Parts: sequence; C-alpha cells; structure tokens
Amino acid sequence: MIARIVLLVLLPITAGFALIQRRRLYAIIGMALFSLLLASVFFLEHAPDVAITEAAVGAALVTFVYVLAIRKTGRLTVAASEVPSLIERVGGRITGLEWEILDRLARRVGLDLVVQFMPVEEIEGALLRGDADLGAGGMILDGFNQRILRCEPHLPTARFTVRGPSEAPPIEEGPPMAGYLADLVEAVRQREPVHVRLDLARFLALSRNALDAYAVLRHEDEAGYAFAIAPSRSDLQSHLAALLDRLRETGELNRLIERHLR
Amino acid sequence: MKRKKTVLLGIAAVTLSACFCAVAILGFDFRGPRTEPIDPWIVAAEALGTQNIISAIYLNVRLFDTIIEVLVFAIAALGVRYYLTARGRRREADAIPESRVVRVAADVLLPPIVLLGIYIVLHGHLSPGGGFAGGVIAGTGLLLAAIALGTETVRSRISSSVLEWVEWAVLCGIIVLAVVPVTLSRPALANPIGPGTMGRLLSGGTTLLYSMLIGVKVFVGSWVIVRRFIDHRGEI
Repeated sequence: MIARIVLLVLLPITAGFALIQRRRLYAIIGMALFSLLLASVFFLEHAPDVAITEAAVGAALVTFVYVLAIRKTGRLTVAASEVPSLIERVGGRITGLEWEILDRLARRVGLDLVVQFMPVEEIEGALLRGDADLGAGGMILDGFNQRILRCEPHLPTARFTVRGPSEAPPIEEGPPMAGYLADLVEAVRQREPVHVRLDLARFLALSRNALDAYAVLRHEDEAGYAFAIAPSRSDLQSHLAALLDRLRETGELNRLIERHLR
Repeated sequence: MKRKKTVLLGIAAVTLSACFCAVAILGFDFRGPRTEPIDPWIVAAEALGTQNIISAIYLNVRLFDTIIEVLVFAIAALGVRYYLTARGRRREADAIPESRVVRVAADVLLPPIVLLGIYIVLHGHLSPGGGFAGGVIAGTGLLLAAIALGTETVRSRISSSVLEWVEWAVLCGIIVLAVVPVTLSRPALANPIGPGTMGRLLSGGTTLLYSMLIGVKVFVGSWVIVRRFIDHRGEI
C-alpha cells in the first residue's frame, strides 16, 4: 500500500519535471521515467500484461523514436569551405575565427554544431536544398541567390588577383574562388599556371608558399566576409545578428580577429 | 510579467497534482484481486484451458477488438509509407558514424533483446505479455541494430518487398482465421485446436497461434517502417 501511494504521488511530480525542462533530451528522459513509474503502478494493480506493454512501448520504443526525431533537429549543420585561420581542420579538431563565432552561436541556441566541408560552389546548393543551415568559410555573398539570407559582414576583406607565370588561362567572372583551396596551394607549389581571384584569408593561406613566380594585384573592395543562412532558418538570422552585435560591443570580435589572423 | 505567469503556472500545476493525488489515493481499491470469477467472460475464457486469462479474453473471447488494434498498427505503417513515398527517394549525405559505445552495446544486446521478444510472444498464453509486447520488444531491438549498423548496411541487408509481402500476408491470415468461422456460421471452426493440458507450451487452443501471428505482424511492421525511413529520409 505504501509503495502504491508513493508511486502515485511520484507520477505528477515526474510529469512536472519533464514539462519544465529546457533541453528536449532531458524532457524525453523525464517521459521515459514517467512511463516506467506508470508501468510499476499497473503491475501493483494486478495488471501485468498492461505493465509489460506500457514498459515496452512507453519507456523503450517511444523514447527511442523521440530521440531519433530530435537528432536531426538538434543539430546545427554548417556547410563550410576549408580556409585557414577562418575555419579549418587542425589535427582532429576544427579551429579558426569563424568556427569560434559559430561555436558561440550553437551554444546560444542550444544545438550541437556539425561542420561539413565541401567545395565553395556546392555551399549555395546545400543551403537552398536545406541540407545545411549555415554557410561559412570566408564567404563573400555578392553573387549568391536572392533567397539566401545573410548577416552583417563580420570581417572586411580585400580582393587579390594572382596570375602567372607567363601564359595562364583567362579569368572568368564569378565567385572569388572555385574548388578546394588545397588544390590551388598544390598548384602554386608545383608552379603551375594559375589565374585566380582570391579574398584576404585565402590569399594569406596561399602566401605561406613562395609566390615570386606570380604577379599579385590588390584591388580595394567593399566586400566583407559574412555567414550565409539557409532560407528555411530565418530564426538563425536574428540570433546571429544579436550575437555579432554583442561580440562587437564587448570588443570580443576584435580580440578573435587578432588571435586568428595575425 | 513572465515571472508572474511562471508563478501562476506553478500554482496551477501544484493544485492539479494535489487533486490528482487525493482522488487517486482515496479512490483506489487497495484490496487484492477478487477471487470469485463473477464476470461471464472470465468464465468463458477459463473453459478454453489457457493459463493466462487475459490472453484468453483478448485473443479468443474478444478477438475482434484485437483485430481492430492490429488494423490500427497496419494503418500506421500504411500512413508512414504513404507520406514518405510522396517525399521521394533520397541518397543520404555523409552519415556520421555512431559512437563506439552504441555499436558495441548493440552487438552485445541485440540477441538477448530479440530472444526476450520471441519468448514473450511464445509464452503469451502462459505468462503476462502476449503478441503485442513481444513484437514491440523485438522491434525495438531491431531499431537499435539499425542505428548501430548504419543506413548502408541496413539498406543492403533488409529486402523491402519481401518484408512488406510478409506483413500483409500475416495481417490477412489473422483476419481470415478470425472472420471465416463467423461468416460460415460454424463456431466449431473458431477453435480448431483443442485446449490441451493447462500450463504446457502447446495448450490453450488458438491463443498461441494468434499470439505468434500478432507478434510477427508487429515485428515485421517495425522492420518495414525503419526501412521506409531510411529509403525516403536518407537516415533513420
């Protein structure tokens, strides 16, 4: 009798506990606990079939299905092109200025950050399809689809043209750089003819190799690096704008730029 | 303003909980189960020779309620198939592999889970459980295996068409077994297998048969749902 009273009193307490949780995972665990308590109540009321079914369905299957459902929605997927000092893989980790900003954003909205690296020209398609929520990696958003949302640029940049040696293919109009940066670095190291237009971060990465065989022209430009946001995630736009404002006010943004780009 | 709303919500929650506890504790019958079978259905179920009276009732005396429950599950699987087919097939993006803990745990846990599910199904007429609970347990074990193995392995190993045929064949089998004696007005056909000795595995008439059919239906149904999710969503 005491056990029944205790269990019955615990039922609304557990339900209330599951209701007030902020993180969805904790609420799901609360519901699993509620289901187990309910199964115990059923058992003590001489209904063992119902108890087994309630435990199997409520505590096991439903919990499992909920966890699977929030797996996708609990993630913040970033499609990034690998650019040193902005967002790159070092060893087993990801570092860089933009990664730090994204990490703060993910913590602010309570999601897990997942970065997928891909060539620059695929980022726009990934955002439009909904495969990724954000685009990062030294993005200049001038030529992008109108539906892609954007934020205030967080880092001003300049454009460079690298050309040479002697005969090189003519340049086409389009986004600053195509393909992977690593391929371009390899080509420069082999002293192959290239003719590309680069932005600041990629040029800094490229200039770690010897560029004496190439002619470098610098253009002044009003562009800036910004994050691209998928059209379906307009809520991220306001969070990102608020985060960038706060970073600028406290001077944190300048500190991060100093740390990663000098 | 938000604080005031939180306080009001808290007071309402506590009041409701207190009312619930009061009603539950004062209203519950804390005596033991009744020992005289005054229910005519229980009397009828006891004549069938099944040790677990609950199984006898919902699989023999009140079989049609169970059939509608099984139909609800079949409709759920059909709904999943309908809405996911509309989304079109998808190849998955780079899957993030599961952590090692999940994979090793699934390796160790899967055989006992499926075995427990099969045991509960087969002993539905002797001990608590029955077809539904056993099928759900086995299906959950399968879901764990699917997550641990990854979508590619599941896609290659589970054949979608064979499973869907099995699922619908079992459903038709259940319905035919239950409905044919009624349509032909021959109640003797309803229980072709005799009661047997109570307590043995092969006893209780058609209870064991229905238990197995329902267990297979729920198990295969959850396989099909998992396979559809992988096909159309690209991930589980």
